[in-house]
Amino acid sequence: MSENQTRSPEAELGLLDATMIGMGAMIGAGIFVLTGLAAEIAGPAAILVFALNGVVTAFTGLSYAELAASIPKSGGGYAFVREIFADLSSFIMGWMLWFAYMIAGGLYALGFAPNFLELLHVYGVVPPPDEVGAVVIPVVDVGVPLALLLAFVAVLGLVALNAVSTAASGSAETVFTIIKVSILVVFVGFGLASPMFSGAEFQPLFSEGAGATALLPAMGLTFIAFEGYDLITTVTEEVENPRENIPKAIFVSLLATVIVYLAVVTVAVGTLGAEGLADAGEAGIAAAATSFMPTGLPIIQNGGAIIVFGAVFSTLTALNAVVIASSRVAFSMGREGQLLPSFGQIHHRYGTPFVAILTSAVVMLGSVALPTQSAGNMASLFFLLSFIIVNVAVIRLRRERPNMNRPYKMPYYPVPALLGIALNLLLAGVLVEYLMRTDPLALVLSAAWILLGGLVYVALDRLKAQPDRGPIESNTEISLSGED
Amino acid sequence: MTSNYDILIAGGGRVGFQTAERLADLGHDVTIIEQDDRVVSEIADEWIATVIQGDATNPDIIEQAGIEQANVIAALTGETGLNLAVCLAARELSPEIRTVARIDRVAGESYTRLVDAVLFPERAGARVAANEILGSDVQTLADVTGNLDILLVRVAEGAPAAGKKLADVRFPAGTLIVSDDDGNRIARSDTTLTPGSRYVVAVEPDVADEVMNLMRG
Repeated sequence: MSENQTRSPEAELGLLDATMIGMGAMIGAGIFVLTGLAAEIAGPAAILVFALNGVVTAFTGLSYAELAASIPKSGGGYAFVREIFADLSSFIMGWMLWFAYMIAGGLYALGFAPNFLELLHVYGVVPPPDEVGAVVIPVVDVGVPLALLLAFVAVLGLVALNAVSTAASGSAETVFTIIKVSILVVFVGFGLASPMFSGAEFQPLFSEGAGATALLPAMGLTFIAFEGYDLITTVTEEVENPRENIPKAIFVSLLATVIVYLAVVTVAVGTLGAEGLADAGEAGIAAAATSFMPTGLPIIQNGGAIIVFGAVFSTLTALNAVVIASSRVAFSMGREGQLLPSFGQIHHRYGTPFVAILTSAVVMLGSVALPTQSAGNMASLFFLLSFIIVNVAVIRLRRERPNMNRPYKMPYYPVPALLGIALNLLLAGVLVEYLMRTDPLALVLSAAWILLGGLVYVALDRLKAQPDRGPIESNTEISLSGED
Repeated sequence: MTSNYDILIAGGGRVGFQTAERLADLGHDVTIIEQDDRVVSEIADEWIATVIQGDATNPDIIEQAGIEQANVIAALTGETGLNLAVCLAARELSPEIRTVARIDRVAGESYTRLVDAVLFPERAGARVAANEILGSDVQTLADVTGNLDILLVRVAEGAPAAGKKLADVRFPAGTLIVSDDDGNRIARSDTTLTPGSRYVVAVEPDVADEVMNLMRG
């Protein structure tokens, strides 16, 4: 956001910072929240699930790299598509991406809560998470599960923070990411050394019954884990030498993330077993850690607490990142006249896109009421769909603007873009089919959001048709302040 | 509905690039058309605008730059003829578009019959240079279409008009004192030209030196 006056324009981020922003978003909540769910569907093959997702998303990564290097706009996927497509298509892209980030916010909040309870449990503040009862709200006299309440409070807190002050800078994100990765390295190190891992059992790789076909729905569900590089392209303006560093940052962060995921999931499956992991759900990694980390340490007492802390920290920072990302999409749409203009305005006092943040918060708070799996499904579905559009955008841009300067060109064009479209389409199809069988609610809500988008688009179109825009002043104005 | 313009700039050299940078800073969308390989890669390094590489008079290239959505095209290469050709071609492709052409001599003002506005960077540069040289005593605020100058002038101690009411000073025809001291009000006949204070003055060039004499001594 170049409009953001409080951020110094000199804030130059290097390749490391840009890479860390991407890794921070990808090695965020996904690994802690989704590993258990992936193990539940695919068994020990959860390892393969993450590896294959990394491969699939790499094709879209190439498209992002080409677009980000040649279109100098800090808006992520929506800004690129807006540049290339007509009103309706770009509106749909923004609308879907906005939703995907908001639902991801709900997902991360839902992942935060059980991990936070686990952390409290490690220190004996509360009983084990599954024994924590509901909190009775005195006034309305209904019981609300404590985890749900925690998720709600987390969203509310971060939204409030972002609504009144500008986001943490890229360099803070670098520190956060290094903390997260270090904690995971500790996890992997202890895991590999533990006696539980030496007796690890990865056979049968595929859970009986479902077989290898279970890979696809699990991939669809966990696809959201690799959405992070969209975030790199939203800060491109602050990155030095972006035409070289942005593509590099995308590839390096993707590669590093896949490696970290593989190591962590291998250790988690190896120690806790796929079933144990599945049982622990959103707190899978934390549960695995408490099982093999040393106990009786000074101050922190329990080695597992470090990992649980890592989970709490990661889900919170990831939640913060998507609060920013979702409001940024809405803000760009407002500026482009694709949402009400108030979405595209910076609050006069707080210097933040206030309306965009508050509106995003409403949907995010609503999505906290969803089961974690539904939230993951919906967010993944919308990321898959929007990534298809990004890949189409690359092909269309090449055809329509052959003479455009492209500092980075994807190799073997158009093969990667076409593969990206085909694979994302396949996963989206599998996911929809899977949802029809297991989670119709998520499908209905997704359809409802698209429908709502259609209504908003038509309504805004009507609204815009009334007051005429008027051409630009065609005579040279005399300006007394026109010194230069 | 949106406050930012979609702007095409033909020519990414010295003038074109600086203009693009300024507009991008103000939040507008800028696309640059540039032919030279070296210049293209320099612009790409700065990452302020989308660049279409090619000849800006070629309708194909202008179309690739997104002429349909653009509000304005500014042809800012060093060649007047080329700039006019670009503007005329652009208007042919998108009749509503506002056109701005860079010209290389004052006589080029008559080109405003072909384009919406002309730009003579050397004159703008000269204005800034003169302002810098004179410091804060006399500053040209803007060039008005035609020759009129809008100046900010500090009345010097001991100048002929210093300390006098406007009604008592006979400025030459072609002069208008616009503001009272330090620009708080529109000047009236009882406005006093206080030494050390600054006044906005509109003046025709052939009487400018006489006005300077009255106000600066």
